Amino acid sequence: MNIIETSALGKRYRRTWALRDCTLAIPGGHVVALVGPNGAGKTTLLTTAVGLTRPTEGTISVLGGTLAGAPGALDRIAFVAQDAPLYRQLPVRDMLRVARYLNHRWDEPRAIDRLQRLEIPLGRRVGALSGGQKAQLALTIALARRPSLLVLDEPLAALDPVAREDFLASVAEAAREESISVVLSSHVLAELERVATYLIVLTRGEVRVSSPVRDLLETQGAGLEEIAMRYLRAGAPSSRTDQTL
Amino acid sequence: MTTTTYTAAPAGRRRPVAWSRLAWVTLRQRRGAMIGLGVFLGLFAIYLAVMGFLQNHAYAGVAACDSGTVKCQQLAHAFTNDYWGGNASALLSGGAQSVSSILFAVPVLLGAFLGAPALARELSDGTFRFAWTQGAGRTRWALSTLAVPAAVLAAATGAFTALFSWYFRPFLEDHQVSEMLPLGFALLGVAFAAWTLLSYALAAFLGGLLRRTIPAMVVTLIVYIALAMVTAVSIRPHYMTPVTVPTGSITNSSGWVISQFVKTPGGQPVSLNYLYNHVPASVQNSPNQNAFVDWLTAHHYTQWTSLQPDSRFWPFQLIEGGWLLALSAALIAGSVWLVRRRGA
Repeated sequence: MNIIETSALGKRYRRTWALRDCTLAIPGGHVVALVGPNGAGKTTLLTTAVGLTRPTEGTISVLGGTLAGAPGALDRIAFVAQDAPLYRQLPVRDMLRVARYLNHRWDEPRAIDRLQRLEIPLGRRVGALSGGQKAQLALTIALARRPSLLVLDEPLAALDPVAREDFLASVAEAAREESISVVLSSHVLAELERVATYLIVLTRGEVRVSSPVRDLLETQGAGLEEIAMRYLRAGAPSSRTDQTL
Repeated sequence: MTTTTYTAAPAGRRRPVAWSRLAWVTLRQRRGAMIGLGVFLGLFAIYLAVMGFLQNHAYAGVAACDSGTVKCQQLAHAFTNDYWGGNASALLSGGAQSVSSILFAVPVLLGAFLGAPALARELSDGTFRFAWTQGAGRTRWALSTLAVPAAVLAAATGAFTALFSWYFRPFLEDHQVSEMLPLGFALLGVAFAAWTLLSYALAAFLGGLLRRTIPAMVVTLIVYIALAMVTAVSIRPHYMTPVTVPTGSITNSSGWVISQFVKTPGGQPVSLNYLYNHVPASVQNSPNQNAFVDWLTAHHYTQWTSLQPDSRFWPFQLIEGGWLLALSAALIAGSVWLVRRRGA
Protein backbone atom coordinates (compact mmCIF):
# COMPACT_ATOMS: atom_id res chain seq x y z
CA MET A 1 0.00 0.00 0.00
CA ASN A 2 1.20 3.46 -0.84
CA ILE A 3 1.05 5.93 2.03
CA ILE A 4 1.25 8.89 -0.35
CA GLU A 5 0.43 8.73 -4.01
CA THR A 6 0.41 11.74 -6.28
CA SER A 7 -0.33 12.17 -9.94
CA ALA A 8 0.77 15.25 -11.90
CA LEU A 9 0.41 17.18 -8.65
CA GLY A 10 0.99 20.92 -8.93
CA LYS A 11 0.56 23.88 -6.62
CA ARG A 12 0.80 27.50 -7.71
CA TYR A 13 0.99 30.46 -5.34
CA ARG A 14 -0.05 33.47 -7.38
CA ARG A 15 2.42 33.25 -10.29
CA THR A 16 5.01 30.89 -8.82
CA TRP A 17 4.74 27.14 -9.00
CA ALA A 18 5.85 25.67 -5.66
CA LEU A 19 5.36 22.16 -7.00
CA ARG A 20 4.98 21.07 -10.60
CA ASP A 21 4.00 17.82 -12.29
CA CYS A 22 4.89 15.76 -9.25
CA THR A 23 4.10 12.07 -9.65
CA LEU A 24 5.09 9.88 -6.74
CA ALA A 25 4.17 6.65 -5.02
CA ILE A 26 5.64 6.29 -1.56
CA PRO A 27 5.27 2.76 -0.20
CA GLY A 28 4.30 2.20 3.42
CA GLY A 29 6.55 0.90 6.14
CA HIS A 30 9.45 3.22 5.51
CA VAL A 31 11.13 6.16 7.14
CA VAL A 32 11.13 8.44 4.13
CA ALA A 33 13.61 11.27 3.88
CA LEU A 34 12.30 14.06 1.67
CA VAL A 35 15.35 16.06 0.75
CA GLY A 36 15.81 19.24 -1.22
CA PRO A 37 17.06 22.80 -0.98
CA ASN A 38 14.96 25.57 0.51
CA GLY A 39 12.07 26.43 -1.76
CA ALA A 40 12.12 23.06 -3.50
CA GLY A 41 8.48 22.35 -2.66
CA LYS A 42 8.99 19.99 0.28
CA THR A 43 6.62 21.83 2.59
CA THR A 44 4.03 22.18 -0.15
CA LEU A 45 4.12 18.44 -0.85
CA LEU A 46 3.76 17.59 2.84
CA THR A 47 1.03 20.12 3.66
CA THR A 48 -0.89 18.92 0.62
CA ALA A 49 -0.59 15.34 1.89
CA VAL A 50 -2.03 16.28 5.29
CA GLY A 51 -4.86 18.32 3.78
CA LEU A 52 -3.69 21.78 4.75
CA THR A 53 -2.95 22.85 1.19
CA ARG A 54 -5.23 22.20 -1.73
CA PRO A 55 -3.53 21.31 -5.02
CA THR A 56 -3.88 23.59 -8.05
CA GLU A 57 -3.75 20.60 -10.38
CA GLY A 58 -3.33 16.86 -10.24
CA THR A 59 -4.40 14.50 -7.46
CA ILE A 60 -3.05 13.24 -4.17
CA SER A 61 -4.26 10.36 -2.06
CA VAL A 62 -2.97 8.96 1.20
CA LEU A 63 -3.05 5.68 3.14
CA GLY A 64 -3.93 3.63 0.10
CA GLY A 65 -6.49 5.74 -1.70
CA THR A 66 -8.04 8.07 0.88
CA LEU A 67 -8.41 11.66 -0.30
CA ALA A 68 -5.87 13.89 1.44
CA GLY A 69 -7.58 15.91 4.17
CA ALA A 70 -10.64 13.63 4.35
CA PRO A 71 -11.86 12.78 7.89
CA GLY A 72 -10.46 9.25 7.70
CA ALA A 73 -7.08 10.66 6.68
CA LEU A 74 -7.03 13.30 9.43
CA ASP A 75 -7.65 10.57 12.00
CA ARG A 76 -4.71 8.46 10.96
CA ILE A 77 -2.08 10.98 9.91
CA ALA A 78 -0.19 12.97 12.52
CA PHE A 79 1.54 16.07 11.24
CA VAL A 80 4.19 18.16 12.95
CA ALA A 81 4.69 21.39 11.02
CA GLN A 82 7.97 23.26 10.85
CA ASP A 83 8.92 24.88 14.19
CA ALA A 84 6.39 22.55 15.86
CA PRO A 85 3.58 25.07 16.34
CA LEU A 86 1.79 24.50 19.66
CA TYR A 87 -0.12 26.82 21.98
CA ARG A 88 2.68 28.64 23.75
CA GLN A 89 0.56 30.13 26.52
CA LEU A 90 -0.73 26.74 27.73
CA PRO A 91 1.03 24.54 30.27
CA VAL A 92 2.13 21.17 28.84
CA ARG A 93 -0.67 19.41 30.76
CA ASP A 94 -3.38 21.53 29.10
CA MET A 95 -1.70 21.30 25.71
CA LEU A 96 -2.02 17.52 25.98
CA ARG A 97 -5.66 17.84 26.94
CA VAL A 98 -6.32 20.14 23.95
CA ALA A 99 -4.80 17.53 21.65
CA ARG A 100 -6.71 14.73 23.37
CA TYR A 101 -10.03 16.57 22.97
CA LEU A 102 -9.34 17.32 19.31
CA ASN A 103 -8.88 13.66 18.42
CA HIS A 104 -10.81 10.41 18.37
CA ARG A 105 -7.83 8.27 19.17
CA TRP A 106 -5.59 9.18 22.04
CA ASP A 107 -3.16 7.22 24.14
CA GLU A 108 -2.85 9.23 27.33
CA PRO A 109 -0.63 6.84 29.37
CA ARG A 110 1.79 6.71 26.49
CA ALA A 111 2.00 10.49 26.23
CA ILE A 112 2.51 10.93 29.97
CA ASP A 113 5.07 8.14 30.09
CA ARG A 114 7.01 9.59 27.19
CA LEU A 115 7.11 13.08 28.70
CA GLN A 116 8.30 11.63 32.01
CA ARG A 117 11.11 9.79 30.30
CA LEU A 118 12.07 13.01 28.52
CA GLU A 119 11.84 14.89 31.82
CA ILE A 120 9.47 17.48 30.40
CA PRO A 121 7.49 18.92 33.33
CA LEU A 122 3.71 18.87 32.82
CA GLY A 123 3.28 22.15 34.63
CA ARG A 124 5.63 24.20 32.47
CA ARG A 125 4.28 26.53 29.84
CA VAL A 126 4.91 25.35 26.27
CA GLY A 127 6.47 28.72 25.49
CA ALA A 128 9.04 28.18 28.27
CA LEU A 129 10.32 24.84 26.90
CA SER A 130 13.62 24.59 25.05
CA GLY A 131 13.58 24.01 21.29
CA GLY A 132 14.40 20.33 21.76
CA GLN A 133 11.74 19.85 24.42
CA LYS A 134 9.14 21.59 22.29
CA ALA A 135 9.94 19.36 19.30
CA GLN A 136 9.72 16.31 21.56
CA LEU A 137 6.38 17.48 22.95
CA ALA A 138 5.03 17.90 19.42
CA LEU A 139 6.29 14.39 18.57
CA THR A 140 4.73 13.02 21.77
CA ILE A 141 1.37 14.51 20.85
CA ALA A 142 1.66 13.17 17.31
CA LEU A 143 2.50 9.65 18.55
CA ALA A 144 -0.22 9.67 21.21
CA ARG A 145 -2.70 9.94 18.34
CA ARG A 146 -1.57 6.46 17.30
CA PRO A 147 -1.19 7.42 13.65
CA SER A 148 -0.55 5.14 10.71
CA LEU A 149 1.52 7.85 9.11
CA LEU A 150 3.69 10.44 10.80
CA VAL A 151 4.60 13.51 8.73
CA LEU A 152 7.35 15.79 9.99
CA ASP A 153 8.24 19.00 8.19
CA GLU A 154 11.82 20.12 8.82
CA PRO A 155 11.79 18.70 12.35
CA LEU A 156 15.52 19.16 12.77
CA ALA A 157 15.89 22.73 11.53
CA ALA A 158 15.58 24.46 14.90
CA LEU A 159 17.41 21.85 16.98
CA ASP A 160 20.95 21.69 18.28
CA PRO A 161 23.03 18.59 17.42
CA VAL A 162 22.24 16.69 20.63
CA ALA A 163 18.51 17.39 20.32
CA ARG A 164 18.66 16.24 16.68
CA GLU A 165 20.20 12.94 17.71
CA ASP A 166 17.58 12.38 20.39
CA PHE A 167 14.72 13.40 18.14
CA LEU A 168 15.77 11.10 15.31
CA ALA A 169 16.28 8.26 17.76
CA SER A 170 12.70 8.75 18.99
CA VAL A 171 11.35 8.76 15.45
CA ALA A 172 13.32 5.63 14.50
CA GLU A 173 12.11 3.86 17.62
CA ALA A 174 8.46 4.70 16.94
CA ALA A 175 8.78 3.59 13.31
CA ARG A 176 10.40 0.33 14.32
CA GLU A 177 8.26 -0.64 17.29
CA GLU A 178 4.86 0.45 16.12
CA SER A 179 5.09 0.00 12.36
CA ILE A 180 4.36 3.66 11.75
CA SER A 181 5.33 5.00 8.35
CA VAL A 182 7.26 8.24 8.63
CA VAL A 183 7.89 10.98 6.09
CA LEU A 184 10.27 13.68 7.18
CA SER A 185 11.64 16.54 5.19
CA SER A 186 15.01 18.11 5.66
CA HIS A 187 17.54 20.27 3.93
CA VAL A 188 20.31 18.80 6.05
CA LEU A 189 21.44 15.34 5.05
CA ALA A 190 24.01 14.24 7.55
CA GLU A 191 21.74 12.96 10.31
CA LEU A 192 19.25 11.24 8.06
CA GLU A 193 21.56 8.43 7.02
CA ARG A 194 20.93 6.40 10.15
CA VAL A 195 17.14 6.50 10.03
CA ALA A 196 16.04 6.86 6.41
CA THR A 197 15.05 3.75 4.50
CA TYR A 198 13.61 5.60 1.51
CA LEU A 199 14.91 8.71 -0.23
CA ILE A 200 13.07 11.34 -2.25
CA VAL A 201 15.01 14.26 -3.70
CA LEU A 202 12.98 17.27 -4.72
CA THR A 203 14.46 20.31 -6.41
CA ARG A 204 12.66 23.28 -7.89
CA GLY A 205 9.28 21.59 -7.57
CA GLU A 206 10.29 18.41 -9.39
CA VAL A 207 11.10 14.90 -8.20
CA ARG A 208 14.72 13.86 -8.98
CA VAL A 209 14.70 10.48 -7.31
CA SER A 210 12.28 8.34 -5.34
CA SER A 211 13.73 5.03 -4.26
CA PRO A 212 14.45 2.74 -1.30
CA VAL A 213 17.80 3.61 0.25
CA ARG A 214 18.99 0.02 0.02
CA ASP A 215 18.59 0.00 -3.79
CA LEU A 216 20.43 3.30 -4.10
CA LEU A 217 23.30 2.09 -1.98
CA GLU A 218 23.61 -1.10 -4.01
CA THR A 219 23.52 0.51 -7.44
CA GLN A 220 25.49 3.65 -6.74
CA GLY A 221 28.09 2.39 -4.32
CA ALA A 222 28.34 5.51 -2.22
CA GLY A 223 27.02 6.88 1.07
CA LEU A 224 23.46 8.19 1.26
CA GLU A 225 24.62 11.74 1.78
CA GLU A 226 26.77 11.61 -1.32
CA ILE A 227 24.02 10.03 -3.43
CA ALA A 228 21.54 12.67 -2.34
CA MET A 229 24.09 15.36 -3.11
CA ARG A 230 24.51 14.06 -6.65
CA TYR A 231 20.77 14.33 -7.31
CA LEU A 232 20.65 17.77 -5.72
CA ARG A 233 23.48 18.93 -7.96
CA ALA A 234 21.77 17.44 -11.00
CA GLY A 235 18.69 19.46 -10.20
CA ALA A 236 20.48 22.74 -9.65
CA PRO A 237 20.17 25.38 -12.41
CA SER A 238 23.91 25.72 -13.24
CA SER A 239 24.60 22.01 -13.73
CA ARG A 240 21.56 21.78 -15.96
CA THR A 241 23.10 24.23 -18.34
CA ASP A 242 26.29 22.19 -18.24
CA GLN A 243 24.38 19.09 -19.26
CA THR A 244 22.82 20.71 -22.28
CA LEU A 245 26.13 22.09 -23.49
CA MET B 1 6.56 -4.46 7.91
CA THR B 2 3.03 -5.71 7.92
CA THR B 3 0.19 -3.96 6.21
CA THR B 4 -2.31 -4.68 8.98
CA THR B 5 -1.47 -1.36 10.59
CA TYR B 6 -3.08 0.49 7.72
CA THR B 7 -6.43 -1.27 7.80
CA ALA B 8 -9.05 1.45 8.03
CA ALA B 9 -11.60 1.28 10.81
CA PRO B 10 -15.08 0.48 9.48
CA ALA B 11 -16.61 3.71 8.22
CA GLY B 12 -19.65 3.42 10.48
CA ARG B 13 -17.56 3.39 13.64
CA ARG B 14 -16.23 6.89 13.22
CA ARG B 15 -18.08 9.35 15.40
CA PRO B 16 -17.31 13.06 15.28
CA VAL B 17 -15.42 14.59 18.19
CA ALA B 18 -17.92 15.72 20.85
CA TRP B 19 -18.90 19.39 20.90
CA SER B 20 -18.38 19.53 24.65
CA ARG B 21 -14.72 18.62 24.14
CA LEU B 22 -14.29 21.17 21.39
CA ALA B 23 -15.95 23.77 23.61
CA TRP B 24 -13.48 22.97 26.39
CA VAL B 25 -10.60 23.48 23.97
CA THR B 26 -11.97 26.86 22.87
CA LEU B 27 -12.66 28.05 26.42
CA ARG B 28 -9.22 26.96 27.60
CA GLN B 29 -7.50 28.77 24.78
CA ARG B 30 -9.54 31.94 25.23
CA ARG B 31 -9.44 31.87 29.02
CA GLY B 32 -7.53 35.14 29.26
CA ALA B 33 -10.03 36.93 27.04
CA MET B 34 -12.96 35.47 29.01
CA ILE B 35 -11.47 36.65 32.28
CA GLY B 36 -10.88 40.09 30.74
CA LEU B 37 -14.50 40.21 29.62
CA GLY B 38 -15.70 39.19 33.09
CA VAL B 39 -13.55 41.74 34.90
CA PHE B 40 -14.51 44.58 32.54
CA LEU B 41 -18.26 43.96 32.64
CA GLY B 42 -18.06 43.02 36.33
CA LEU B 43 -16.52 46.35 37.35
CA PHE B 44 -19.08 48.21 35.27
CA ALA B 45 -21.82 46.09 36.84
CA ILE B 46 -20.67 46.95 40.36
CA TYR B 47 -20.82 50.65 39.50
CA LEU B 48 -24.29 50.27 37.95
CA ALA B 49 -25.52 48.26 40.94
CA VAL B 50 -24.37 50.90 43.46
CA MET B 51 -25.63 53.86 41.45
CA GLY B 52 -28.82 52.03 40.49
CA PHE B 53 -29.56 51.33 44.11
CA LEU B 54 -29.03 54.99 45.06
CA GLN B 55 -30.98 56.47 42.21
CA ASN B 56 -33.87 54.03 42.39
CA HIS B 57 -34.11 54.94 46.06
CA ALA B 58 -33.91 58.70 45.31
CA TYR B 59 -36.45 58.38 42.53
CA ALA B 60 -38.91 56.58 44.79
CA GLY B 61 -39.00 59.82 46.79
CA VAL B 62 -39.65 61.88 43.67
CA ALA B 63 -42.35 59.53 42.40
CA ALA B 64 -44.15 59.49 45.78
CA CYS B 65 -44.23 63.27 45.95
CA ASP B 66 -47.24 65.28 44.71
CA SER B 67 -45.78 66.94 41.64
CA GLY B 68 -47.89 70.08 42.09
CA THR B 69 -45.94 71.45 45.03
CA VAL B 70 -42.80 73.58 44.85
CA LYS B 71 -41.02 71.25 47.24
CA CYS B 72 -41.64 68.32 44.95
CA GLN B 73 -40.46 70.22 41.91
CA GLN B 74 -37.25 71.01 43.76
CA LEU B 75 -36.88 67.35 44.66
CA ALA B 76 -37.39 66.30 41.03
CA HIS B 77 -34.93 68.92 39.89
CA ALA B 78 -32.33 67.77 42.41
CA PHE B 79 -32.81 64.16 41.26
CA THR B 80 -32.16 65.12 37.64
CA ASN B 81 -29.18 67.20 38.64
CA ASP B 82 -27.66 64.53 40.85
CA TYR B 83 -28.16 61.44 38.73
CA TRP B 84 -29.00 62.26 35.15
CA GLY B 85 -27.02 65.18 33.78
CA GLY B 86 -26.58 68.61 35.30
CA ASN B 87 -23.64 68.56 37.66
CA ALA B 88 -24.29 64.90 38.52
CA SER B 89 -23.10 65.42 42.05
CA ALA B 90 -24.12 62.11 43.62
CA LEU B 91 -20.85 60.29 44.42
CA LEU B 92 -19.24 62.43 41.68
CA SER B 93 -20.66 59.80 39.40
CA GLY B 94 -20.76 61.65 36.12
CA GLY B 95 -24.47 60.97 35.76
CA ALA B 96 -26.44 58.49 33.74
CA GLN B 97 -26.12 60.61 30.62
CA SER B 98 -22.31 60.27 30.57
CA VAL B 99 -22.43 56.62 31.60
CA SER B 100 -24.73 55.88 28.66
CA SER B 101 -22.38 57.66 26.28
CA ILE B 102 -19.46 55.54 27.50
CA LEU B 103 -21.46 52.32 27.29
CA PHE B 104 -22.32 53.18 23.70
CA ALA B 105 -18.72 52.27 22.76
CA VAL B 106 -18.63 49.02 24.74
CA PRO B 107 -20.14 46.60 22.15
CA VAL B 108 -17.49 47.28 19.53
CA LEU B 109 -14.67 47.19 22.08
CA LEU B 110 -15.78 43.82 23.48
CA GLY B 111 -16.53 42.43 20.02
CA ALA B 112 -13.18 43.46 18.54
CA PHE B 113 -11.27 42.30 21.62
CA LEU B 114 -12.80 38.82 21.58
CA GLY B 115 -13.45 38.38 17.87
CA ALA B 116 -10.33 39.61 16.11
CA PRO B 117 -7.85 37.10 17.64
CA ALA B 118 -10.15 34.06 17.18
CA LEU B 119 -8.76 33.14 13.75
CA ALA B 120 -6.11 35.82 13.24
CA ARG B 121 -3.96 34.58 16.10
CA GLU B 122 -4.00 30.99 14.85
CA LEU B 123 -3.04 32.20 11.39
CA SER B 124 -0.31 34.63 12.46
CA ASP B 125 1.22 32.22 15.04
CA GLY B 126 1.06 29.28 12.64
CA THR B 127 -0.87 27.14 15.16
CA PHE B 128 -3.62 26.59 12.58
CA ARG B 129 -1.25 23.98 11.14
CA PHE B 130 -1.66 22.10 14.41
CA ALA B 131 -5.38 22.76 14.91
CA TRP B 132 -6.51 21.94 11.38
CA THR B 133 -4.67 18.63 11.12
CA GLN B 134 -6.22 17.01 14.21
CA GLY B 135 -8.87 14.31 13.98
CA ALA B 136 -11.73 16.71 14.72
CA GLY B 137 -11.29 18.39 11.35
CA ARG B 138 -11.12 22.08 10.70
CA THR B 139 -14.83 22.75 10.13
CA ARG B 140 -15.89 21.55 13.57
CA TRP B 141 -12.89 23.26 15.08
CA ALA B 142 -13.84 26.55 13.38
CA LEU B 143 -17.48 26.30 14.48
CA SER B 144 -16.45 25.78 18.09
CA THR B 145 -13.73 28.45 17.99
CA LEU B 146 -16.19 31.00 16.62
CA ALA B 147 -19.47 30.06 18.28
CA VAL B 148 -18.42 29.39 21.87
CA PRO B 149 -17.06 32.90 22.61
CA ALA B 150 -20.07 34.34 20.73
CA ALA B 151 -22.44 32.51 23.07
CA VAL B 152 -20.50 33.64 26.15
CA LEU B 153 -20.48 37.21 24.87
CA ALA B 154 -24.21 37.21 24.12
CA ALA B 155 -25.03 35.80 27.55
CA ALA B 156 -22.76 38.27 29.36
CA THR B 157 -24.02 41.34 27.50
CA GLY B 158 -27.62 40.14 27.85
CA ALA B 159 -27.23 39.91 31.62
CA PHE B 160 -25.50 43.27 31.63
CA THR B 161 -28.46 44.81 29.75
CA ALA B 162 -30.85 43.50 32.40
CA LEU B 163 -28.83 45.30 35.06
CA PHE B 164 -28.55 48.45 32.99
CA SER B 165 -32.32 48.52 32.36
CA TRP B 166 -32.94 48.45 36.10
CA TYR B 167 -30.32 51.19 36.58
CA PHE B 168 -31.87 53.29 33.82
CA ARG B 169 -35.55 52.79 34.70
CA PRO B 170 -36.01 55.94 36.87
CA PHE B 171 -35.13 58.20 33.95
CA LEU B 172 -37.62 56.50 31.66
CA GLU B 173 -40.32 56.63 34.32
CA ASP B 174 -39.43 60.24 34.99
CA HIS B 175 -39.96 60.99 31.27
CA GLN B 176 -36.45 62.34 31.17
CA VAL B 177 -35.76 60.69 27.85
CA SER B 178 -37.40 58.43 25.31
CA GLU B 179 -36.12 54.85 25.12
CA MET B 180 -36.52 55.16 21.35
CA LEU B 181 -33.75 57.75 21.08
CA PRO B 182 -30.54 56.27 19.63
CA LEU B 183 -28.55 56.41 22.86
CA GLY B 184 -31.12 54.65 25.04
CA PHE B 185 -32.21 52.30 22.26
CA ALA B 186 -28.70 50.92 21.80
CA LEU B 187 -28.30 50.08 25.49
CA LEU B 188 -31.72 48.57 26.24
CA GLY B 189 -33.67 45.56 25.03
CA VAL B 190 -31.70 43.20 22.83
CA ALA B 191 -29.73 45.90 20.98
CA PHE B 192 -26.68 45.94 23.27
CA ALA B 193 -26.12 42.19 22.98
CA ALA B 194 -26.96 42.16 19.26
CA TRP B 195 -24.50 44.94 18.40
CA THR B 196 -21.82 43.24 20.49
CA LEU B 197 -22.44 39.99 18.63
CA LEU B 198 -22.25 41.76 15.28
CA SER B 199 -18.93 43.42 16.07
CA TYR B 200 -17.60 40.08 17.34
CA ALA B 201 -18.61 38.30 14.13
CA LEU B 202 -17.25 41.15 12.02
CA ALA B 203 -13.92 41.13 13.87
CA ALA B 204 -13.64 37.33 13.61
CA PHE B 205 -14.32 37.42 9.87
CA LEU B 206 -11.84 40.25 9.30
CA GLY B 207 -9.29 38.40 11.44
CA GLY B 208 -9.66 35.37 9.18
CA LEU B 209 -9.39 37.56 6.11
CA LEU B 210 -6.49 39.81 7.16
CA ARG B 211 -4.75 37.14 9.26
CA ARG B 212 -3.57 39.71 11.78
CA THR B 213 -5.27 40.77 15.01
CA ILE B 214 -4.56 44.50 15.23
CA PRO B 215 -5.53 45.39 11.63
CA ALA B 216 -8.71 43.33 12.09
CA MET B 217 -9.56 45.33 15.23
CA VAL B 218 -8.96 48.66 13.50
CA VAL B 219 -11.07 47.81 10.45
CA THR B 220 -13.80 46.44 12.73
CA LEU B 221 -13.90 49.74 14.59
CA ILE B 222 -14.20 51.75 11.38
CA VAL B 223 -16.87 49.54 9.80
CA TYR B 224 -18.80 49.31 13.05
CA ILE B 225 -18.95 53.08 13.58
CA ALA B 226 -20.09 53.62 10.00
CA LEU B 227 -22.76 50.92 10.26
CA ALA B 228 -24.01 52.12 13.64
CA MET B 229 -24.35 55.68 12.36
CA VAL B 230 -26.04 54.70 9.11
CA THR B 231 -28.42 52.49 11.08
CA ALA B 232 -29.41 55.22 13.53
CA VAL B 233 -29.75 57.93 10.87
CA SER B 234 -31.07 56.13 7.79
CA ILE B 235 -32.22 52.61 8.57
CA ARG B 236 -33.91 52.50 11.96
CA PRO B 237 -36.33 55.42 11.29
CA HIS B 238 -37.85 53.34 8.47
CA TYR B 239 -38.62 50.11 10.36
CA MET B 240 -42.23 51.35 10.54
CA THR B 241 -44.05 54.37 9.11
CA PRO B 242 -43.70 57.26 11.57
CA VAL B 243 -46.76 58.58 13.37
CA THR B 244 -47.67 62.22 12.73
CA VAL B 245 -49.04 64.20 15.67
CA PRO B 246 -49.55 67.90 16.44
CA THR B 247 -46.27 69.29 17.72
CA GLY B 248 -47.99 70.80 20.74
CA SER B 249 -48.98 67.38 22.06
CA ILE B 250 -45.52 65.82 22.40
CA THR B 251 -43.24 65.65 25.42
CA ASN B 252 -39.62 64.59 26.01
CA SER B 253 -40.64 60.99 26.24
CA SER B 254 -43.27 60.67 23.51
CA GLY B 255 -40.85 58.96 21.23
CA TRP B 256 -38.14 59.55 18.71
CA VAL B 257 -38.78 62.66 16.61
CA ILE B 258 -37.99 61.99 12.95
CA SER B 259 -39.07 65.31 11.38
CA GLN B 260 -41.14 68.42 12.00
CA PHE B 261 -43.14 70.38 9.46
CA VAL B 262 -45.96 72.86 9.06
CA LYS B 263 -49.27 72.55 7.27
CA THR B 264 -50.72 75.54 5.45
CA PRO B 265 -54.32 76.59 6.17
CA GLY B 266 -55.17 74.62 3.03
CA GLY B 267 -53.54 71.45 4.48
CA GLN B 268 -50.36 71.48 2.34
CA PRO B 269 -47.21 70.32 4.19
CA VAL B 270 -44.34 72.83 4.11
CA SER B 271 -40.92 72.57 5.67
CA LEU B 272 -40.18 74.86 8.59
CA ASN B 273 -37.06 76.17 6.92
CA TYR B 274 -38.89 77.12 3.77
CA LEU B 275 -41.59 78.94 5.70
CA TYR B 276 -39.10 80.74 7.94
CA ASN B 277 -37.45 82.24 4.88
CA HIS B 278 -40.77 83.45 3.51
CA VAL B 279 -42.32 85.19 6.52
CA PRO B 280 -42.19 89.04 6.67
CA ALA B 281 -38.81 90.49 7.67
CA SER B 282 -40.38 92.02 10.75
CA VAL B 283 -41.13 88.53 12.06
CA GLN B 284 -37.70 87.13 11.09
CA ASN B 285 -35.89 89.96 12.83
CA SER B 286 -38.19 90.24 15.81
CA PRO B 287 -36.43 90.17 19.20
CA ASN B 288 -39.40 88.16 20.48
CA GLN B 289 -38.44 84.46 20.38
CA ASN B 290 -42.01 83.40 19.85
CA ALA B 291 -42.66 85.81 16.98
CA PHE B 292 -42.44 83.09 14.32
CA VAL B 293 -44.73 80.66 16.13
CA ASP B 294 -47.18 83.49 16.93
CA TRP B 295 -47.21 84.47 13.27
CA LEU B 296 -47.92 80.84 12.26
CA THR B 297 -50.78 80.58 14.71
CA ALA B 298 -52.22 83.93 13.62
CA HIS B 299 -52.20 82.81 10.00
CA HIS B 300 -53.79 79.42 10.76
CA TYR B 301 -50.69 77.36 10.05
CA THR B 302 -50.44 74.20 12.13
CA GLN B 303 -47.21 72.49 13.34
CA TRP B 304 -46.77 68.74 13.08
CA THR B 305 -44.20 66.20 14.22
CA SER B 306 -43.41 62.80 12.71
CA LEU B 307 -42.15 60.43 15.35
CA GLN B 308 -41.61 56.82 16.28
CA PRO B 309 -43.56 56.49 19.53
CA ASP B 310 -42.25 54.77 22.64
CA SER B 311 -44.86 52.07 22.25
CA ARG B 312 -42.85 50.75 19.30
CA PHE B 313 -39.79 50.04 21.43
CA TRP B 314 -40.08 46.25 21.39
CA PRO B 315 -41.06 45.87 17.71
CA PHE B 316 -38.08 48.05 16.82
CA GLN B 317 -35.76 46.11 19.14
CA LEU B 318 -36.83 42.82 17.60
CA ILE B 319 -36.47 44.09 14.03
CA GLU B 320 -32.99 45.42 14.74
CA GLY B 321 -32.00 42.39 16.80
CA GLY B 322 -33.27 40.15 14.01
CA TRP B 323 -31.25 41.59 11.19
CA LEU B 324 -28.15 42.00 13.35
CA LEU B 325 -28.40 38.34 14.34
CA ALA B 326 -28.83 37.32 10.70
CA LEU B 327 -25.85 39.43 9.66
CA SER B 328 -23.73 38.01 12.50
CA ALA B 329 -24.65 34.47 11.52
CA ALA B 330 -23.70 35.25 7.92
CA LEU B 331 -20.32 36.62 9.05
CA ILE B 332 -19.67 33.54 11.21
CA ALA B 333 -20.60 31.33 8.26
CA GLY B 334 -18.26 33.43 6.11
CA SER B 335 -15.47 32.91 8.65
CA VAL B 336 -16.00 29.13 8.62
CA TRP B 337 -15.89 29.31 4.83
CA LEU B 338 -12.57 31.20 5.03
CA VAL B 339 -11.16 28.43 7.22
CA ARG B 340 -12.43 25.73 4.88
CA ARG B 341 -11.10 27.29 1.70
CA ARG B 342 -7.76 28.44 3.10
CA GLY B 343 -4.89 26.52 1.63
CA ALA B 344 -6.52 26.58 -1.77
